[in-house]
Amino acid sequence: MPIDQGKDAAIDGYLTNELKAVNAHLPRRRKTLAQLMNEEHPHVLLNDGTEHHFRKKELRRLAGMITEEEQSRLLLPMILEVQSEAGDIVVHTKEGIEAKVFSAIAGMPLVVRHDILRIFKAQVSTLRSELKTTTQYVFRP
Amino acid sequence: MATKIQIARPTKMELARLKKRHRLALRIQKIVKDRLSILVMEFIQTIKESARLRLRLYEEMAHAHTSFSLTAGYHGYEPLKKELLGAVSVLKIRAESRNVAGVRIPMFENAQEFSPHDEPRNPLDYSGHMEHTQTLAHSCLETLVELAELQKSLDLLGIEINKVKRINNALEYVVIPSLFLTIKYLNMKFEERDREEAARLKRVKLLIEQREAYAY
Repeated sequence: MPIDQGKDAAIDGYLTNELKAVNAHLPRRRKTLAQLMNEEHPHVLLNDGTEHHFRKKELRRLAGMITEEEQSRLLLPMILEVQSEAGDIVVHTKEGIEAKVFSAIAGMPLVVRHDILRIFKAQVSTLRSELKTTTQYVFRP
Repeated sequence: MATKIQIARPTKMELARLKKRHRLALRIQKIVKDRLSILVMEFIQTIKESARLRLRLYEEMAHAHTSFSLTAGYHGYEPLKKELLGAVSVLKIRAESRNVAGVRIPMFENAQEFSPHDEPRNPLDYSGHMEHTQTLAHSCLETLVELAELQKSLDLLGIEINKVKRINNALEYVVIPSLFLTIKYLNMKFEERDREEAARLKRVKLLIEQREAYAY
């Protein structure tokens, strides 16, 4: 039985006006990696009322890349912001943990500027093939 | 083909409303195009993975078949069948779902790790050959489950891509051009009205001037 987890302030910005319909697949509230690792069926509740489940193998892989302290701060799913004008994907990373994970998977250092990590579309397919359930797209015009 | 939208009264308010709708339609089209490109990227990635997995499955099946033949030669078919039937019941799959840019996709995960030592065996009918065959057969099943997930994902992504394409085409070829045509029509209508007004004013001015000239 899904439990209502309340709202996520970071996600509320993506749910205004016409974006509400296209971003309905965003979670109501994200969970930390540490929380998800302790769940038997790791999942989050989405705004459209459905559930998004995480693959345990992926969670274990992520946990192996970062420290225990970072595990309790990394919120999942990680949001990949698709921006039409920029033509690439943006990740907001205040803590820099997302950048650390993505750098490890891409196999190259990724630069964070003003808490923003820009990823080229070619790199996104690599990231998505490795982190299918722990990343989520969000659309912004 | 794009046609002009039927409007009850050509007013400035209507024009402002249409311009707002036009801007909104352009914004939505951008988002829809982004979503389409993401879905296509996911679709291509799934196809590549599916092809890779299919090759792996063929290889695994070939290995399993070789191992099965060797074991059958060593033990005979009857004991082998008996032992392998037990292995099939071990596979437990948990069916869940994940979301890819708004598309709900099924996700199958193994509920428990397979080990050929889990079940009690008759040491007379069992050997390293049989264990190897069992492990290979189980690995084939696991790959098959993964492939099933990818195939279903492909179906669902394909359906969604078609839907999004239709929305994009409707916006690009019908909604936006219709709004544009209507805005253009209204602008022309207002310009014409202005020109008429200017001509009328000129005429009135001329008439007044003529009347004043006759009065003197």
